[in-house]
Amino acid sequence: MGYCEDIAEKVIGGKAKEVVALVEQALAEGENPEDLLTKGLMAGMNVIGEKFKLNEVFVPEVLVAARAMNKGMQVLKPALAKAGAEPLGKAVICTVKGDMHDIGKNLVKMMIEGRGIECIDLGTDVDAERVVEAVKENGAQIVCLSALLTTTMNAQKDVIDALVAAGIRDKVRVMVGGAPVTQEFANEIGADYYTLDAASAAEVAEKALKEMNGK
Amino acid sequence: MTNRERTSNILHFKAADRMPAVHFGYWTELLEEWAGQGYIDRSILDGYYDGGPKDNELDRIIGWDYNWQHVFCGNNGLMPRFEHKVVKEFPDGSQAVQNGNGIIEKIHPGVISIPAEYDYLLKDREAFETLFKPKMALNIEKRVDFDFFGRFNTDIYEKTDVPLGIHLGSVMGSIRDMTSVMGMSYLMYDDDEELFGDIVDTFAEMQYEVAKAVLETGAKFDYAHYWEDICFNGGPLLSPTLFEELCAKHYKKRTELCHRHGIDIISLDCDGVVEKLLPVWVENGVNVMFPIEVGTWGDQFEKARKRFGNAVLGVGGMDKTALRKDKKAVDAELERMKRLASLGGFIPCPDHRLMPGSKFELVVYYCEEIKKIGW
Repeated sequence: MGYCEDIAEKVIGGKAKEVVALVEQALAEGENPEDLLTKGLMAGMNVIGEKFKLNEVFVPEVLVAARAMNKGMQVLKPALAKAGAEPLGKAVICTVKGDMHDIGKNLVKMMIEGRGIECIDLGTDVDAERVVEAVKENGAQIVCLSALLTTTMNAQKDVIDALVAAGIRDKVRVMVGGAPVTQEFANEIGADYYTLDAASAAEVAEKALKEMNGK
Repeated sequence: MTNRERTSNILHFKAADRMPAVHFGYWTELLEEWAGQGYIDRSILDGYYDGGPKDNELDRIIGWDYNWQHVFCGNNGLMPRFEHKVVKEFPDGSQAVQNGNGIIEKIHPGVISIPAEYDYLLKDREAFETLFKPKMALNIEKRVDFDFFGRFNTDIYEKTDVPLGIHLGSVMGSIRDMTSVMGMSYLMYDDDEELFGDIVDTFAEMQYEVAKAVLETGAKFDYAHYWEDICFNGGPLLSPTLFEELCAKHYKKRTELCHRHGIDIISLDCDGVVEKLLPVWVENGVNVMFPIEVGTWGDQFEKARKRFGNAVLGVGGMDKTALRKDKKAVDAELERMKRLASLGGFIPCPDHRLMPGSKFELVVYYCEEIKKIGW
């Protein structure tokens, strides 16, 4: 097996230290950093994403895989920057105002980063104006909003309204998710996408960006 | 019939005079709303707890028969708990706060929400041995009030007509609460799998001994109860295979303990979609699903009954959000509850604590009507 396959296997197994060692070794031997990213780290994360969607792996396996991938990314970043590699696009992600819960949001972020999308994580209890600000500051094309509670999900609509008021609604695609959120609710509030799980969210984000970038 | 008798009969597939009106408690914010609206006296909020005198008073006002979570136990948690303290303040007013389980949570004073996990203490073997294991030590004399349980039958059991439960603790939910979801994941799969097993076993053994000590006082209970909360709308927070490997033996041992003491109703509180963990529970003696959260995924009870037959009983399954809507929504839930009750071994109950926005008059209406569905 080559380095890429080894790295992918170790990401899938959630073996962070081994991923770091392999990436370091691969770079030292002159392997292409973009290949290590796409065919190694991201490939491993994509396998985990598919298995998560199919209920073949569960939250802990996603979290350890994401940790392994991120540790590998930290080693790879300088080499990628030198090679001029660009992310597929940018996404702003947060848990909405009034809601502190972040596990779902963090899972989505990990999966989205696994697709080569740069994620600007605003954290939790984020008001609509802060989301608008972050979209403008970063040129983000995707907005991901998480809500855990029936009492906070309406804050997702507040963000959409704020994007409209700021005149940038048509520049972004808004994705919503979280325990009480449904496709019906997403339609009602004018979101572009609703996804049931983190892996689907990443898939949809990638597809949306490729569409928006004309690919 | 007393509530104890009708509950026992229904859960044993025997005739009962009527269905009891059972609930799971309230968000504090809802009680504050109702007090503000003049439906209840504000004094009810002082010292409210599940199954306590204020809860019983609310039952009488609203028309509930009882709260399913009327449970007793010794101290089966970390003892002493970690100091509750603010460890960091953020510019936006939020705080990182260490809780009693050794998790540092991010909260925002005034924001009512499940907190975010910010950090945690239980990261490695050293932390377990020095910080946590001492708090899991048995010290049975400190954990169990033998005097209280010695008088339990005459002082409490024989003076109430509602079912009373022994709380058996939590095999995995408590571990998650000590390690955080992230910490649990890293330990289970990468950092120290053996350690994770040791944590589960050490805590479970202590909880078993506490339950055993309570039962050996001769205190009577109508059911046993666990709390787990290790599922969400996407299913379990961990692999069912690993869950079985780590936890099945502990459920089995507690079931055997309960059976030896004449308790054959064993309920387990887990929110979210529980389908993938049900086999582990059912095969090891848990027979009551609770609160059977409806969420966005719908009913789980009928599917479980089809799969496991009468080995699965249920308390729960009523979509509590109907109580925030209107009479039409409540009537639709009553029809659905009637249908589930007709399967036998099922007692309707709101699928979690009643939340802010629940309308007082709709709750009263629900209590009146649920009692009429008969059995």
